[in-house]
Formats: sequence, structure tokens, C-alpha cells
Amino acid sequence: MVQIVISSKAGEGPAEWLLVELQGEVVSRQNTGLAGNLMGDLHYTKEGVPVLIVGHHILYGKQVKLEKPFAVLMKHSGLPRDEEETMETNQENPTSYTVSALIKKKLIFKTRPKPIITNVPKKV
Amino acid sequence: SAKYCPILTNHKSMESLFIHLIIRGDKDEHAVLCNEDETYDLKIADTSNLLLFVPGCKTPDQLPDISASPQLVHAQIWGFSNCYWELRRQRPRLKKLKKLLMENPYDGPAVGMQEEAPGPKYTMDDLLERIQASREEIEAHLQNVHACEIDGFWRILDFDYEMKLLGHVTQLVDSESWSFSKVPLSVCLEELGSLEPKSMIEHCLNCYGRRYSNEDGQVIYALDEDKVCRATAQLLLQNAVKFNLSEFQEVWQQSVPEGMSARLDQLRGLALLDRSSKPETISLLRIEDLPEDTLERFNSLFSLREKWTQDDIEPYIQDLCGEKQTTGALLTKHARSSVQNGVKVYNSRRPIAT
Repeated sequence: MVQIVISSKAGEGPAEWLLVELQGEVVSRQNTGLAGNLMGDLHYTKEGVPVLIVGHHILYGKQVKLEKPFAVLMKHSGLPRDEEETMETNQENPTSYTVSALIKKKLIFKTRPKPIITNVPKKV
Repeated sequence: SAKYCPILTNHKSMESLFIHLIIRGDKDEHAVLCNEDETYDLKIADTSNLLLFVPGCKTPDQLPDISASPQLVHAQIWGFSNCYWELRRQRPRLKKLKKLLMENPYDGPAVGMQEEAPGPKYTMDDLLERIQASREEIEAHLQNVHACEIDGFWRILDFDYEMKLLGHVTQLVDSESWSFSKVPLSVCLEELGSLEPKSMIEHCLNCYGRRYSNEDGQVIYALDEDKVCRATAQLLLQNAVKFNLSEFQEVWQQSVPEGMSARLDQLRGLALLDRSSKPETISLLRIEDLPEDTLERFNSLFSLREKWTQDDIEPYIQDLCGEKQTTGALLTKHARSSVQNGVKVYNSRRPIAT
């Protein structure tokens, strides 16, 4: 049988991250992939309502406390292996996980994105 | 390369969950997650929503209330995912524990110059490697099955040997005219130490009695009448398929130590009464001999008997209840009820091959 240990860093507890949940997909404009690109702007109104601007869309969301918190785990699998990952662990390079962060709340954007039209030509 | 995997929990206190966590499982088993005293099922769940992880991103309540100048903070999205692992608390799979220990039960020290016959033996670490449960759950179950640690290995006692030890103790209690609740450890060890290892005598007292100290600081045991009578019943019942109930009750009462009362309610989860047959009968049916999986357990029970009253079936399904689930709820889910002779009975929802 396999035993995989999950540990948290010694000292203070894990950091707290925020989860942002979107309905649908985010794609990059020129299909260049998402990594390294600016996704958008996150604003909060005076009432604390989160507002997300992605490209030319604007989304309104809300902050929700997670009933079931998340933990983010980082996997450490010893030496890199060329073969496919299997449940079997090599005794000298056992797989383990560390808890990177806890997530206790999220910003969820469920409303339909509205396009922002900045140039409305005036009727002549 | 580092991979990340969000886990969802429903644990009351997130922080306390993360002390010493281990994922356990064989290739053909579903993985479970254990901390020191609990076991959880691990299942992958996915969502059509996109989950973005933003370390250190602040929410309005965490930002200072400066309406003067707008603030610009750069936050990086660490990653995103469509799926996560969900944890669901479940009862630990412990049937394997007894099965492993029964590969080589202990029936007393080796006789004369002989060494104990070779056979598989398991340390606690060995058990943690093989059983999908937390350490505390394993320790509690070891106590339930009356296992003891001998030379670093956890051993289950051969039942006849266990009853032999108990017999020595109860005979001594009788000859010394002690009260069942005042059995002194030191005298037991002195008088019985020549017959059996002292550690075994003490183990027997721990299994069948409650340990305490009297005013003089001596270690005393209060024998548990229910446990002693129950074990005696098992010894009698395992010798035949079925017994005439009234004959059994007579023999049973005569076999328990004088002064103890043998009562049928002591046999819940151990024996099954058939009050519909003439004469009424009783037979051995131990919950630990039944399947661990809920559906298989119900199938097994309904193959043994077509219709059960709630009172009869309850001891055999009690351990299947999830957190906050009642046996009534379990029966509603897995059985069909009807009324027979004015009594509510349960039968299988599906046809059972008997």
C-alpha cells in the first residue's frame, strides 16, 4: 500500500489565498495562452461589491465565505520520472504534498459579462 | 515539476485538520485521507466554472478605508483549475485489521524448548501501511478485538486461549470469594503466574474488567458481567449451527460465574434469535463476520432472513450509519417495509438469491 504524507510548513500556519470563480472560460486575445498575461482589473465599489474588467467586458460579483474551505496542496515527487505517473511510489523518492495555502472565501462572478462600449457615436 | 491540487474539506476547523495528514491506499483501493483520529474518502469533483487562485489578494474588508486616493495593487494569479478533491468523512475500513491478525493468532507461549511456530506478525507501523484508517481508529479497534502487543507485534488471541485465561481468573475469584468488582491484580498475578504469563493474565483483566485503584493505592479490577457472559455465550454457540433457545439459556446461565446473570440483551450483535420457529432457536451471528460494505451487508442479512424487525436488525447495521444518520434512515434507504402480524418488518428492495 502507498502512504503519502501531507504536511504544512513548520512555524506559522499556511497563508490565506483568495479564490476568484468565473462562469465560463477565459481565453487570451491572440490565443497566446494565459501565462504571463494581464487578465484584467479588479475593483471594489464603495459598498464592497467586486467588479472585474476583463478585456472589454465588465462583470459584477459578490464575496462569499466558503462553507467548505479549500486547501491548496503542492506536490513533490522527488526525482523527475520519464514514465507516466502511477500510484506506485519509489521508496527513495516518495511522493509527498505540502499545504501551500488555505482559502476561506471567494469572489464569484455569476452574472453575464456586459460589453463596455466606450465610443458611442452621437447622432448627427 | 510541482503540481497543485486544491482540496475541499467540510472540517469544522481547517487548521486542526492539517496536523499530520496521510493519504493511504493500495492500487486497487480508493484513496483515503487520514489524520490522527479520522478517515476521509477522497473523490475528484469538477466544476464547469473556472477557479482562479490569487495569493494575497485582499477583499474590501481588508483594505483601509481611504477614499482620498485610489490604490493600485498588482496581484498575480498563481494558477487555475476546473477540478478539486472533495473530502467526505467516513467510517474507517477496519475489517482487514482482524483478518491480518487472524493469520497468526496467539495461543500461549511456546511449550518447552520449542520456538513459537512461524507466521506473519505485524507491528503498528506494518498495520498503518496496510489499513485504510487513522492511527487512533486502529488503536481503538485493536482494543475492541482484544489484541495485545507481544514482543512489539500486535497479536490477536486464539479464542479458546482467551477463554482459558478468563476461566483461570473467574475460578480464582470464586475460590477466593472476592466480589466481582474487587479483583486485586497482584494476587491474580501471584496465584496464576505459574499457569500463564503474567502479561496475559493482566491483558485478560484489561479486556474483561475495568481497572482502578483503591484507597491503599492497589490496582483492582471490576469484572464486566456483560462482557464475561457474552464471551461465554460465544464459546457455547460456536459449537453448533443452532440451539434450542430455552436449553441454551439454561446451559448458559450454568456456565457463567456464579453470581453473574446471563441475559439475552447481552447478545446483541453476537447471536440471532428465531422466535417464529417452534421451538424457538438461537444461533451465532457475529457482526464482524458480515461484509463491511453497506449494500453487501444488507444483501447478506436479507439472505439469512427474509424479513427483519427493526429491533433484530439494528445491532447489525448500527456501524453503517454515517455522521448524523440513524438506523431508521438507513432502513428507509436500503429496505422496504411492510406490516406482518401487526409488527413492522423490513425486507430487501431487490430479489435476493438464497
